[in-house]
Amino acid sequence: MAGTKIMIVDDESEFAATLAERLELRGLEVITADCGEQAIANVREGWNPDVVLLDLKMPGLDGLETLELIKNHDPSIEVIILTGHGSVASGINGMKRGVFDYLMKPVDLGELLGKLDQAVKKRRAGQ
Amino acid sequence: MTEQPFSWNPLNYLPAAASGRYRRLCRSLLVIMILITIIPVLITASLSFFQYRRLLQEETYMNAHWSAENSRQMIETFIEKLRAAILVVSDAYTFPELAQQERLDQVFVKLKAYHRGLVDLSVIGPDGVQKAYAGPYNLAGKDYSAVSWYTEALSRRLFVSEVFLGYRNIPHFVVTVSRPTTGGSWLLRASIDAKTLDEFLASVDSDLTEDLFLVTEQGVLQTTSRYHGTIHDQFPISHLPKKGRTVLLEQEQNDAPILRALGRIQGTPWVLVLDQPGYQHKKNWLAFKGQLWMIVIGCAVICGLIVIRIAVYLTNRIRTADEARQTALSQAEHTNKLASIGRLAAGVAHEINNPLAIINEKTGLMQDLLAMHPDFSGRDKFNQQLKAILAAVTRTKAITHRLLGFSRRMDSTLDLVRINELILEVLDFLEKEAIYRNITLDLNLDRQLPVIQGDQGQLQQVLLNIINNAFDAIGEDGKLSIVTSSSQDEVKIAISDDGAGMPPEVVKQIFEPFFTTKSGIASGKEREGTGLGLFIVYGIVKKLGGDIQVNSAVGSGSTFTLTFPVAHEQSEEHHGRH
Repeated sequence: MAGTKIMIVDDESEFAATLAERLELRGLEVITADCGEQAIANVREGWNPDVVLLDLKMPGLDGLETLELIKNHDPSIEVIILTGHGSVASGINGMKRGVFDYLMKPVDLGELLGKLDQAVKKRRAGQ
Repeated sequence: MTEQPFSWNPLNYLPAAASGRYRRLCRSLLVIMILITIIPVLITASLSFFQYRRLLQEETYMNAHWSAENSRQMIETFIEKLRAAILVVSDAYTFPELAQQERLDQVFVKLKAYHRGLVDLSVIGPDGVQKAYAGPYNLAGKDYSAVSWYTEALSRRLFVSEVFLGYRNIPHFVVTVSRPTTGGSWLLRASIDAKTLDEFLASVDSDLTEDLFLVTEQGVLQTTSRYHGTIHDQFPISHLPKKGRTVLLEQEQNDAPILRALGRIQGTPWVLVLDQPGYQHKKNWLAFKGQLWMIVIGCAVICGLIVIRIAVYLTNRIRTADEARQTALSQAEHTNKLASIGRLAAGVAHEINNPLAIINEKTGLMQDLLAMHPDFSGRDKFNQQLKAILAAVTRTKAITHRLLGFSRRMDSTLDLVRINELILEVLDFLEKEAIYRNITLDLNLDRQLPVIQGDQGQLQQVLLNIINNAFDAIGEDGKLSIVTSSSQDEVKIAISDDGAGMPPEVVKQIFEPFFTTKSGIASGKEREGTGLGLFIVYGIVKKLGGDIQVNSAVGSGSTFTLTFPVAHEQSEEHHGRH
């Protein structure tokens, strides 16, 4: 997992920052974005994450739109939806657009790390 | 014993619970339908009544007219024959010839042979003195010059007198012919007994006739009347007819309606009176009236009974339909309420999840930091507090996730579900826990159970929630029994435990949201309740058109009975596959 690049996209900056710090403590390279636009900008500027942790409800670009733009830029980037606004419809929509998994806030860190590991393995296997 | 007065009210056939509104409705229906059914019956009966009465009236008039005419003509013929006979005699013989006693006797004998009722024959000279007399009385030589009929007889060629007593003092009438001779006119006179007229009338009398008699224009009876007296009594005559005409009058006699026919007898001073009972007395009229009444009363009774049945039936149908609509409205309201709660729950859960995630992450970070500083003096105490925070987070997360689950369940997909298989699947999950807690599972599943329509996942959750609750109620060492059965329309699942049971006040509230009896800290039980399990169960069961009942008593366990409607179209196919 060391050297894995994670981008957390969430308008709840306190949450994003804390989760980022915890992941960094576990040796992951983490960047946060508080809106979809910033996330897209980061990707386009060359910060290429292995996995994106993406919230669904955000001001400006929402989670699904951001997901589409990220996948358009680089289909190999794995995206895990991490949201408090879970609904079956949004989950299905996400899956259809190539989301790796769908997690509900608050999430157990162990479970999250497991999913990240699987996502990274999938991405690397694809490359 | 006090006798109760009889009273019958069709409204009593409405259920006791029927409110005033339905009683009024029933009453209005009764009145309207009785009017609709009875009015045509009454119109038809009235038409028949008046039509038949008119026919009978016409028939009675015709009968009376015909009888009176017939009688009148017979009397006229009788008198005419007599007049013709004495006219012929007066033509054939001269006054001196007939004034001879022998000749008159010969003529009398011949006339009497042909003319019934002829009493005597006499010849009266121009001086008014009887010249010859043939007959049973001793009237020869009697002087009639001062008698009223004599003067009148002289003035006419032919004359018929009223009935009078005369010298013989016996009621009779005379028919005379006057002939001129030297010194004035002589008369040939024939006397007829009044009894002859009575006998004559009696011979034309019929069953239909009530009374038949002769009177003068002044109302003096000329024959005996059944109701108005004997000869020479006074009769109140009115409406004298013209010559040759018969008049018909409706009269009252002894408070009974009669029909009276009056006709003049030509060439005589008499008026024929014929009384006939009115149509009201006719047998066929009385029979018709009786039958008509029976038909009207019969129709009224039959219509009344049918109308009452229909009115009560319709009112009950309307009431049932109203109640069904009310129930449907309540159910729709309840479903709507559930959906609103679902949306609200989803909103609340979403709003809580974000800050909860922050608490979760912050707490986690604190734990991470503590782990990095093993020499921190309050480390254990801090760790203990952080664990408590995380436990609270986990508990809140369970609530929000269930709320979201509930809101998601408001839109589900329906499928055919085999309840027995579903029960076995759910028990697979819980088997280990049952062994661990030493709970005996007693299954009595109906092998022929029809399929129901529902959402597999939701029904799984229903069973899981109820069975979990049962496990919690039992604690350890107990028995859980599940029985499935079916009727024509329903599938029934009864889940019973021999646990602690619940008092009635708890049973009343168990389907309310956030109501729980499971407090982990207070009771020391492993699981804490969110108060949403049975609320969700209730919502799902109702949404699938089913019902849930609870029977519980403290100390003797609880039974949850679920009923679901059978999916009829597919049930045969399902049986076939088994």
